Amino acid sequence: MATSTASLPISAPRERSSQFGLRLWYGVLVLVGAFGVAAWIYELEHGLAATGMRDVVSWGMYIFTFAFFIGLSAGGLIMASSAEVFGIKALKPLSRLGVLSAAACVTVAALMIIPDLGRPDRILNIFIHPNWTSPLIWDILIISVYFVFSVVDFAVLQRHESEPTTLRRTVRVLAYVGLPTAVLLHSVTAWIFGLQIARTWWNTSLMAPLFVVSAILSGTALVTLLALAAERWGGLNLPDDTRRWLRGFITVALIVDLFFVGCDYITVLWGNVPADRSALNLVLPGGSWSWIFWTEWIVGGVIPLSLLLVPRLRKVQGSLGLAASLAIVGVLAFRIELVVIGFINPLTQFPPGNAIGTYNPTTTSFQLIGRYSPTWVEYGIVLGLVALFAAIMTVGYHRLIGPSAAKPKAVVRPLPAAPGPEVPAGTDASTPGGPGTVRNA
Amino acid sequence: MASGSKAGTPHHVMVIDTNRCVGCWTCAVACKQINNEPLGYWWNRVLTTAPNQSTTAKAPASDNIDVPYGVFPNLELAYLPVACQHCNDAPCVKVCPVQATFRRDDGTVLVDYERCIGCRYCMAACPYGVRIFNWGDAEYAPGGIVGYGEEYRYDGRLVFTPERPKGVVEKCTFCVELIDVGEDPYCVQACPIGARIFGDLNDADSTVSQLVNEGGAVQLHPELGTDPNVYYVPVRQRVARES
Repeated sequence: MATSTASLPISAPRERSSQFGLRLWYGVLVLVGAFGVAAWIYELEHGLAATGMRDVVSWGMYIFTFAFFIGLSAGGLIMASSAEVFGIKALKPLSRLGVLSAAACVTVAALMIIPDLGRPDRILNIFIHPNWTSPLIWDILIISVYFVFSVVDFAVLQRHESEPTTLRRTVRVLAYVGLPTAVLLHSVTAWIFGLQIARTWWNTSLMAPLFVVSAILSGTALVTLLALAAERWGGLNLPDDTRRWLRGFITVALIVDLFFVGCDYITVLWGNVPADRSALNLVLPGGSWSWIFWTEWIVGGVIPLSLLLVPRLRKVQGSLGLAASLAIVGVLAFRIELVVIGFINPLTQFPPGNAIGTYNPTTTSFQLIGRYSPTWVEYGIVLGLVALFAAIMTVGYHRLIGPSAAKPKAVVRPLPAAPGPEVPAGTDASTPGGPGTVRNA
Repeated sequence: MASGSKAGTPHHVMVIDTNRCVGCWTCAVACKQINNEPLGYWWNRVLTTAPNQSTTAKAPASDNIDVPYGVFPNLELAYLPVACQHCNDAPCVKVCPVQATFRRDDGTVLVDYERCIGCRYCMAACPYGVRIFNWGDAEYAPGGIVGYGEEYRYDGRLVFTPERPKGVVEKCTFCVELIDVGEDPYCVQACPIGARIFGDLNDADSTVSQLVNEGGAVQLHPELGTDPNVYYVPVRQRVARES
């Protein structure tokens, strides 16, 4: 790393490249977002019957994506705070990118809850009649705090960036507050599940530590991907030192994450309690959901660990990006495993099981072992919100963080007419990459 | 047994004698009728079990009802009707973010249809799987509204309606509209063998008091500490004949 300041190392300005790619990217995001809105309108019209959820599996894609995005929000804030608290200079260039992604992720996670509600019009009841014994209320509180905190933190970092002499103390204080706030956010989200006595699959005190570590893993991996995308398409220069720290963070978090999941498995296997075993058997090889096991342990475990640790593989171009992507896939598999298996594993082993709550003339209304597959409505809404995240990151990077934002400090730029911001000449926006996407130009 | 009832208020309890239950599902169908439950809704259901088994301990004999456990001729079969257990320490009441699910002083757990936001956290928290969500528009077999047929409010809160409120969770109400006028819940009235007994646990002379205090009636999943107000009289085991 050449500079020791917190500013982004910016590569030499290249030839003005076409804005076409960026516009195309925004076009795709707007289309996907519009599809998401359309899917939500369809869902409002037809009720949650439009989803794949029923009374046995009564939470599905919205909730595991919510938990997944809460986890993703960890990386940025933890990285930005660690840079200050532990004095890791190499991570400072990623502070603003990280905090922005934290704010975007937590926004998307909070929005993900709304289509999951049967009566979204009554959402204000949460503030009118809060029930303080409900972990959901705690979570709404900490999500709000976390969102406000990350927005304030971003604003402070932004200010500090333009005038490095001011706000030094504030940046430090916020870093010290940010770390425990992030840990609390993931713990409270874990307690939504972990405190429930009804489902043995959830009821473990390991849940909060597991959420914290998997959040650090997926969040760091996300910031890595964002940084790599910004390097490729946004003119960011990623020093080797920063890469090393990112690789280190991901490696340690992945090992601890797999260790925790393994601890849970061995506890269930050794204890051999029927209700616990019937849940784990669904996931283990031979079970009907064993793809989760393979995704978590091989695709999201052994392969990224090899890419991160084996010296020969580590040197291969793109190994860090691939490892980060696979680690994120592994964490997503864990979130699916947590939510869906928790519901599919029968509460009672006695036939006919539970009623599903809707009528189908060709099959029974009861399920002993739950079944779940998301519908196009769920995919549409989730993809729409992912597009919102990508849009926030692309706009935020180009207007606030990247080299395009650094140049005309005092100049008030006109609002763009097209759904893409004006990219001043001399930026490297040849092929816009969405955050989190690794595409070939 | 923590009964949080004030003096003077009854403590409503249901006892189900599993020695008597024949698995005819009359209670479940009666429940559907009085509460105008649409197709696919079952507030009350009858599980096919082996006698006195914990509901999670034994692998099912079959996915279908009425299939006995064991190998001929050593077969065993029992039934376990399960609806809302009306827990005194109810997980659903604890997790509801908006206090839509609440416990009355008589022990009855009810849902305020007008406050529920449809987050379904209660369904995730309930160990008995007795809650039903209104996923879409209700579908009925031809015939229209049957059963109680009117809205019922307790303390101003809508706790029963024959019209299904889309996007809201519902469940067994102990037929609150009937017990508040001194009648038994409809499943108790409908059971052809008298396997269901309803009464006041605060009244030491009531049948339910005797069954709970002396008759060995047990709760479902007592180990979870939910302290239900539904009790089951266990099947009296007969000595197996030598084969």
